[in-house]
Amino acid sequence: MMLNNIFIIAKYTSKEILQSKILLNVLLLGLAMAGVIFVAFNFTYGEVSRVALNFGLSSLSLSSVGIAFFMGVTLISREIENRTVYMIISRPVSRSQFIIGKILGLMGVLFINILLLSLLTLLCYGLIGGEFYSTIFAAIIMTMLECVVVLLMICFFSLITTQTLTVLFSLSLYVTGHAISEAKLTTFAMKREFVSWVLEGYQFVLPAFAKFNIKDFVVYQKSLDISYFFNTTLYGVFYSLFLLFLILLIFEKKNLD
Amino acid sequence: MIHYKGISKVFKSELLKKPFVALDDVSFSIPEGEIIGFLGANGAGKTTLIKITMDFIRSTKGEIQFDFDSKIKNKFSQIGYLPERPFFYPHLTGREFTFFMGELSGLSRFRIAEQIEKWAPRFKIDFALDRKIKTYSKGMLQRVGFMATLLHDPKLIILDEPLSGVDPIGRKELKDIIVEVNKLGTTIFFSSHIVSDVQEICDSVIFLKEGKLAFKGSIDELINNNKKQESKIYFEDNGKIQFMQVSLESQSRELKKMLEENKNIISVEPNRPTLEEIFYDVK
Ligand SMILES: Nc1ncnc2c1ncn2[C@@H]1O[C@H](COP(=O)(O)OP(=O)(O)OP(=O)(O)O)[C@@H](O)[C@H]1O
Ligand SMILES: [Mg+2]
Repeated sequence: MMLNNIFIIAKYTSKEILQSKILLNVLLLGLAMAGVIFVAFNFTYGEVSRVALNFGLSSLSLSSVGIAFFMGVTLISREIENRTVYMIISRPVSRSQFIIGKILGLMGVLFINILLLSLLTLLCYGLIGGEFYSTIFAAIIMTMLECVVVLLMICFFSLITTQTLTVLFSLSLYVTGHAISEAKLTTFAMKREFVSWVLEGYQFVLPAFAKFNIKDFVVYQKSLDISYFFNTTLYGVFYSLFLLFLILLIFEKKNLD
Repeated sequence: MIHYKGISKVFKSELLKKPFVALDDVSFSIPEGEIIGFLGANGAGKTTLIKITMDFIRSTKGEIQFDFDSKIKNKFSQIGYLPERPFFYPHLTGREFTFFMGELSGLSRFRIAEQIEKWAPRFKIDFALDRKIKTYSKGMLQRVGFMATLLHDPKLIILDEPLSGVDPIGRKELKDIIVEVNKLGTTIFFSSHIVSDVQEICDSVIFLKEGKLAFKGSIDELINNNKKQESKIYFEDNGKIQFMQVSLESQSRELKKMLEENKNIISVEPNRPTLEEIFYDVK
């Protein structure tokens, strides 16, 4: 019964999003992007095509994170504003089931979107005669994980603050989360134990999005260290569960005015 | 069915403003099988009490007790609820939304389809079920929402202003449905501003005034309690119908006087206050 409710909410959430046709715009954007990549592939040779692949994967990740941002901000806050949540939780449905169902529903749409856009990118890449290897797929999986963490982070903020601040906080954390790996490698940080200690701590508490960015690997090496893949996946999963836990805790206590 | 015991709700809004008491020690019971009207002016606290009933917000003090079968695990499986100014997922169709609600109540798709077939024509919404909800008018939203509260044959229905936004013929239809569902044994608790709607179908009323319980009981009792010791004498004067308001003691004296003056008396009626008048007077 419990899983069933989550499934029903997820089903109608994704249905609602798909029927709103918002994603159509995103897909059109992806198509245009794929066109650009296709042209770029056509004009590049040898190793350079890998750089183009890097570009393709980066745009894929950016657009997916963009959707997660865009849709995540209103996913729960709009339910409260429009009082649609009242109809759901006046049925025998717990608040946790509601939240998990909503998030899974959006995640489903997000994944379909990533898959479609990846297919497009890879199709172009393949048509040019690009070579396929495991790192490419690892990069796509990492993008999915990154989107999940971004989505949950946004949902978390949207429950405790206004829409504008949600976007502001999430964007800052997204940018610093990516910059962190570079910061760690600066001589400034390497020479000072305290600074690198703080940076390590940051990764533990705040999302280290840089971990999910393995697009540079794609350019330089064909196979990724399997333990890195494994560890990062674990990091992504546990970080998501941590955020979900916070979200459920807050929502359970929230006054739904 | 529901027992409210000393419910208070204080909203602590912005830092510097002083807290606002929306409900102040409200106690009453809703007997099983009745239709109870919930009256009060704008801001009296009706919606606040209903939200507390549904666990959307928590009361500052007091408790609510439900008389459901102890076998029932989740009380919401026995409750149908329609919010004030309902708004549903704009990109789902009415049918999809109804199925959504039915599935969450644990009904089979077959059963939901059966219920839609039964109720949609009654709510005059069958023609629009396959349109997106964002195209619905206010009254249509109200109707679909009302239908969705009935799908699982709840024991208790709580409606927050179910008749607002509905045209006069629609109000009649919805009131008929409320009475019909009640005859099948469902307890109904609904809020309204329109005293005549409540008077027409309710067994008794709860009246809130500025967060306090001002009256609970039957409508007849309310009227009898407030019966004025007055009557109105209607008479013809220079071809115009006029009336004179007199106290009961002076009534026969006044009548005699009029007869002596050869006035054409048309009727003598007790001066009954309307419910509206009573409500503005209830202290
Ligand atoms: N979240 C809130 N914060 C502060 N005050 C609130 C909040 N919600 C409601 N109130 C106040 O509580 C009072 C009661 O509001 P409520 O919505 O219960 O009234 P109502 O009887 O349903 O009125 P109406 O007939 O207009 O629907 C109002 O004065 C309202 O401003
Ligand atoms: Mg109200």
